[in-house]
Amino acid sequence: MATTDPTPPSPPAIRAQGLEYHYPDGRHALRGVDLEIAAGESVALVGPNGAGKSTLLLHLNGLLPGGRGAAVSARHHGPAPASPRSRRAPSVWIDGLEVVDRNAREVRRKVGLLFQDPDDQLFSPTVLEDVAFGPLNLGMGKEEARRLARECLERVDLPDAEDRPPHHLSFGERKRVCLAGVLACGPSVLALDEPTANLDPRGRRRFIQLIQSLPCAKLIATHDLEMVLEICPRAILLDGGQVVADGPSRDVLGDPALLEAHGLELPLSLLLEREISARDRL
Amino acid sequence: MSLDDFGSLEGTNTGRGPLHRLDARVKLVAAVAFVVAVAAVPLGSWRALGGLGLILAVLIVLSGASPLRLIGRWLGFLLLVGFLAALTAGGRAAAEGMSWGMVVLNLLVKNSLAFLMMMVLAEVTPWNKLLGGMRRLGAPSILIATLSFMQRYIFVLGDELARMLTARRARSFRSRGGPGFAMLSSLIGVLLLRALEREERVHAAMTARGWDGTMRALDD
Repeated sequence: MATTDPTPPSPPAIRAQGLEYHYPDGRHALRGVDLEIAAGESVALVGPNGAGKSTLLLHLNGLLPGGRGAAVSARHHGPAPASPRSRRAPSVWIDGLEVVDRNAREVRRKVGLLFQDPDDQLFSPTVLEDVAFGPLNLGMGKEEARRLARECLERVDLPDAEDRPPHHLSFGERKRVCLAGVLACGPSVLALDEPTANLDPRGRRRFIQLIQSLPCAKLIATHDLEMVLEICPRAILLDGGQVVADGPSRDVLGDPALLEAHGLELPLSLLLEREISARDRL
Repeated sequence: MSLDDFGSLEGTNTGRGPLHRLDARVKLVAAVAFVVAVAAVPLGSWRALGGLGLILAVLIVLSGASPLRLIGRWLGFLLLVGFLAALTAGGRAAAEGMSWGMVVLNLLVKNSLAFLMMMVLAEVTPWNKLLGGMRRLGAPSILIATLSFMQRYIFVLGDELARMLTARRARSFRSRGGPGFAMLSSLIGVLLLRALEREERVHAAMTARGWDGTMRALDD
């Protein structure tokens, strides 16, 4: 399927070319992924479990090639690898900046990575300290970091949570604190891993609205196809470490045979829509 | 195991009495000084121990801590200490020319004074403030970070363990008795593996937000 990219005047927010990755145990996780995402664009990354979605997201941040945390974070259920051996594949660019160790600092400021489990990301004793973690690492002064952290907490609608221990927050609240911590770094690209998983309907709704209100480019790895239809004009289907389809979400997610072949199913809303229009035609 | 045991780690006990408002550094130094004093009292100096006990009693009253809770925790600890004291008292008794029982009693009292003082410190100082105090007193940042992570993840791991225990109970049909030894050891193994995996993910999340190996604190 053809990409729907308009030719952007500035370099694309995300560009990956021939991205390869092997897990430390030798499994081939990404087999030459090519994709390009324009500034401000919202793109969904869909595909079955083990397709390489999380691995791809970690690559945006340069967390895998040569990094110590290699591969583990990408697999939620797999065993920890014995050694962090990995092959270098510097084939990702963020805002035109190549993702290599030399640029790690700048790249990590640009890419905000939201993990699936908020407990992995929310490691400080209090909420405010956690949100200020990124700014402090980026060299911001304490007072400035504190102010920015408060501002970000307000943006995610949690202005009173700053002194609370993370253990006392609900899952949805923790998720929003994580987002605040990511926003505090001032990213131009957001990489979200299953942002709506495990949220109750109200929490999901709030989170979707929040994501939608952010102007950054977004790459959203998810199984929540209804959300994709709602907020992502474009979807990329990944399976076996390869891009299988890339196009308007309604086309990619509206192809039952394609979806079936890659462990997904037609979203209910599209199914009903078709049934209704078929009945109208009768 | 009950997570209530970690209640004083929660950091929610803020500002009730005069001791709560004191600078954490002052409390920390005073408490450690007290413990050193207790340890320095020679065996058999009951009067000195009594004096220190009096100070402790005053502090307990000032702290507003529930004595019942303190005593409950202290009793749990007492068993272990008593066992160790009974094991080591023989040699000391011979060297100091005191009876074995007196030495055990002396060790127990000294231990209890030190332990209760630390309990009171925990009662009147939220965990974060305590760590902040330690940091400002120049404790190594790696130690502070370790303690801070421990406080954050002890609940997460505790919840995980509780879920595993529930799942195990749901499939076991023994009506009485706790989990067997074999089951408990396998659970602990699984918990350890999960903690390791989580450590990798937390590390990745820290790196993603620009962490370069230095822990930076928000307050100084």
